[in-house]
Amino acid sequence: MNAPVSSQRVEFKARVRNALSDVNLQRAMAKARGGFVDKRREARDALPEFDAIRDAARDIKDHVLANLDSYLELYEQKVRENGGHVHWARDADEACQIIADICKQAGARTVTKGKSMVSEEMYLNPVLEASGIKVVETDLGEYIVQLAGETPSHIIAPAVHKTREQITELFHQHHSPLGYTDRVTQREALVNEARSVLRERFVSADVGITGANFLIAETGSNVIVTNEGNGDLTSSLPKVHIVTAGIEKVIPSLEDLSVLLRVLARSATGQEFSAYTSIYSGPRRSQDGEGPEEYHVVLLDNGRSTMLGGVYQPMLRCIRCGACLNHCPVYSAIGGHSYGWIYPGPMGSVLTPLLNGFDDSVDLPNACTLNGRCKEVCPVRIPLSDLLLEHRLEQHQRKLTSPLGRKILGAWAWLAKRPRLYQGVMALPLWVAYRLGHQSGVLRRLPGLSGWTESRDFPTPARRSFMRQWQSGHRP
Amino acid sequence: MNEAREQILSTIRRSLKGGEPKTMRRLDELQARLSRTTPMVQPHVDDDLLALFCLKHVAVHGTYERLPADQIEEGVRRHLRGLEVDPQFCLGGGPLLDQVAWSDEVFTYRKSADKDTRVAVSEAFAGVSETGTLVMRSSAENPPSHNFLPDDHIVVLHQQRIVRWTEDVWALLRKEDAFPSRAVNFITGPSKTGDIEQTIQYGAHGPRRLHILIIDA
Repeated sequence: MNAPVSSQRVEFKARVRNALSDVNLQRAMAKARGGFVDKRREARDALPEFDAIRDAARDIKDHVLANLDSYLELYEQKVRENGGHVHWARDADEACQIIADICKQAGARTVTKGKSMVSEEMYLNPVLEASGIKVVETDLGEYIVQLAGETPSHIIAPAVHKTREQITELFHQHHSPLGYTDRVTQREALVNEARSVLRERFVSADVGITGANFLIAETGSNVIVTNEGNGDLTSSLPKVHIVTAGIEKVIPSLEDLSVLLRVLARSATGQEFSAYTSIYSGPRRSQDGEGPEEYHVVLLDNGRSTMLGGVYQPMLRCIRCGACLNHCPVYSAIGGHSYGWIYPGPMGSVLTPLLNGFDDSVDLPNACTLNGRCKEVCPVRIPLSDLLLEHRLEQHQRKLTSPLGRKILGAWAWLAKRPRLYQGVMALPLWVAYRLGHQSGVLRRLPGLSGWTESRDFPTPARRSFMRQWQSGHRP
Repeated sequence: MNEAREQILSTIRRSLKGGEPKTMRRLDELQARLSRTTPMVQPHVDDDLLALFCLKHVAVHGTYERLPADQIEEGVRRHLRGLEVDPQFCLGGGPLLDQVAWSDEVFTYRKSADKDTRVAVSEAFAGVSETGTLVMRSSAENPPSHNFLPDDHIVVLHQQRIVRWTEDVWALLRKEDAFPSRAVNFITGPSKTGDIEQTIQYGAHGPRRLHILIIDA
């Protein structure tokens, strides 16, 4: 259940190869490249306290994680006081079952959804559809991806891999039967058409399902941060509101929320504040003229509780801003779908093996240049590149890496522990490489390493090793 | 279901090496932290809260006009005339709006907005200078649908309700009897999306335009 999208290593390499030669994907990614990065930098530069706030955000999340059991209980108690229900799910199947049961009890025929990565993690939509419920994603990007029968390729920009021409075709194909027979090509017209189609869905849905950027223990609330307003229409119009969230989403109080909101939008889109940040606390009150009659929260564990207390615990600080994706050269070359599961980029490469199994995601921690930009931009200071190294170490120890690779590494380690021998042995390839490349300054081909030199040149090494030069008195 | 709850909580405790459930004293400490309302690190915000609020609001594509309280109807009608829209709208409530004696020139509806609602006129609970944000608190007379379904949203905000930081909003909200209300919506500019070619388009699902009438003290 957890892995219909197989992420076996052979397929990872094939997916990457396809992605690199996919003209539409490369065009779409080229358009997106840089935009998020520039906007985040401008937002950061405009806030002198940015780094101090990042430290505070990290500390808040660390404090919660160290007391997660208590905060979850405090949160649950408040939700109950507000008249809501809290459901606990150990894994994706359990969560889907809980949600399907709530929908069934509500007699739901249609469900609208606000953007929720946790519901993607659960593979919720196919489960609901199998029980005869029509599910409509309402975030524009998610809607586009749903029409295409795909999954999001970015955690905050789900359709970043789609060109405008592809969106035109999708809308034409799916909206023509609804009476929208003109083929619209302009951005504004596309947005308007989706607005008009989805409006009908918002007002007729029986159940609304949203995620949660944060859960607040003080008030028993869920917080959603959006720009479109779709999450709010999903939270307020249907008679049942279901919130899905990972157990790590809880924070103590509204004051903590203030801190986290100051880094979230800036890191995600470079905005100081998103257009809509909403705090929902239970079902409608007796005097309210509208709002859901039922309010449910489904808390998903799915492996998170076992990440606590170990080296990967900092990953649970993640607030899903997407900054690490936006700053990752590998992500921006291969797109989100190449990663094989719903969380792509650096955060996904750390998280996927932990939540979805080590064996099927061996390539992910290795598809990284260790340039460290992800770690640098993370608003809650998750040492992403260090955690990726940790994964590589663990793979080696679990013998998940290739036997040949481990043998070569073992031989190198043996050699490296014998400095004299090491220098003697390394002098030869160094000399050969120098002879081959000293004219042009680069090596275009390396025997046995064509995978590396296919897409980049290798700089020619110096004639003699650093050690030799040092010994002969040369001080560069 | 309870089995899942117990198992998740006990795994968390085992992972955290707490072993046994936390003692009551520990829970007391956490509860004390919850009731502590001192803000943590905050950005510097200049003393002219109104000027910064307006600047930030305009920066996110909003419009505004400053008016005395007795000219709210004129302000609403003038804005709608400019948009060539009939002066009929869903009307919210609050200390400012409740005092307006609407003339026969306008039609007001005291009901939830629906998918065809063209305009809503609301009163903000507060404004946040730090980011140019409106704070809307749900109540019987202020249903959240007014904030999200109309094409045009006109919001009345008393100048003295503009606070410096979001933390100041929490202080105001906690004073209300109905705390926490079902919905508190922070609104910063009109609805927008960047989902097509990462280029901003206004009016994704919510209001296409956001106009604030700032009522001078």
